[in-house]
Amino acid sequence: MANEQTSVPLFAASEVLTAANMNLSAGTGVPVFATTVTRDAGFGGANEKVLAEGQLCYLSSTNVVQYYDGAAWATVGPASAGGLVYITQATPSAVNSVSINDCFSSTYQNYRIIFTPSTSVGVNSYISLRYRVSSTDTTTGYKYVEINSDGSSVGTSVDGQGTTLMVVGYIDPTSKGMAYWLEIQDPNQTQKTKCNIASQNYSAAGAYTIRNIGGAQADTTQFTGITFTTSGTSFTGTIRVYGYANS
Amino acid sequence: MADVLEINAITGETVERDYTEAEAEQRAKDLTEQKQLAKDKAERATAKQAVLDRLGITADEAALLLG
Repeated sequence: MANEQTSVPLFAASEVLTAANMNLSAGTGVPVFATTVTRDAGFGGANEKVLAEGQLCYLSSTNVVQYYDGAAWATVGPASAGGLVYITQATPSAVNSVSINDCFSSTYQNYRIIFTPSTSVGVNSYISLRYRVSSTDTTTGYKYVEINSDGSSVGTSVDGQGTTLMVVGYIDPTSKGMAYWLEIQDPNQTQKTKCNIASQNYSAAGAYTIRNIGGAQADTTQFTGITFTTSGTSFTGTIRVYGYANS
Repeated sequence: MADVLEINAITGETVERDYTEAEAEQRAKDLTEQKQLAKDKAERATAKQAVLDRLGITADEAALLLG
């Protein structure tokens, strides 16, 4: 039996309650409505409860729980109904590659990934990304431009490590602090997946390097996951994936 | 040490495993390409320095001329 209802019934004295009457109340606990329109129509009509302060409901259209404060409906939660929503995290420990499956979906159009490598092995190496679908990485169609600076000089490159991947950041095995911030747009849409990456490194010698990499994967594939790989030996760290709420 | 950490964002399932045959092949291709790119880059830098040496100017002076 579907949970969505169109009325919050009010029973009269001596009225015979049917199984359907009881199932509706027992099955939902909190009345479930398809939209705010059906919610508003569910109160105050003939044989319906008059809306009053403290009333709860659940809306299927937006997946939120609401309460009525006596004047208007307000959202209880989840907090993920707006803003930046935590999806998942990976905590790789001395591995060469991390694949996160099913972190992209139609629920969100845009994503943020915060990647903090803590240690790494491999001199002159870098971390790259590849988008994936059905647990298989896509190895073509990447284009990106990089600009970097150590504060005294500026460097640039185009497709610096080829077009079979996109560079996320360079590895410094003796680093005192590396951090990558990825903004990914439309990975699960039928259009190019765009990505902008800001990164920084604080070297053992006490020098900062900042890097900005922007690019896209040219396919219209609806990607569902992402893989990070080091060109060196291994890395350890934390990768957290968040979705930007669409509304 | 495992090659890959694979996680599923929906189920939370986490697997540490070695590369599959296909992934190992891709890894080998990536490393070959990486070496070739590094070699190309070094050759370009050497060629650039040779031109600067012939002209008797520094890279900064060449940038001034081209700017």
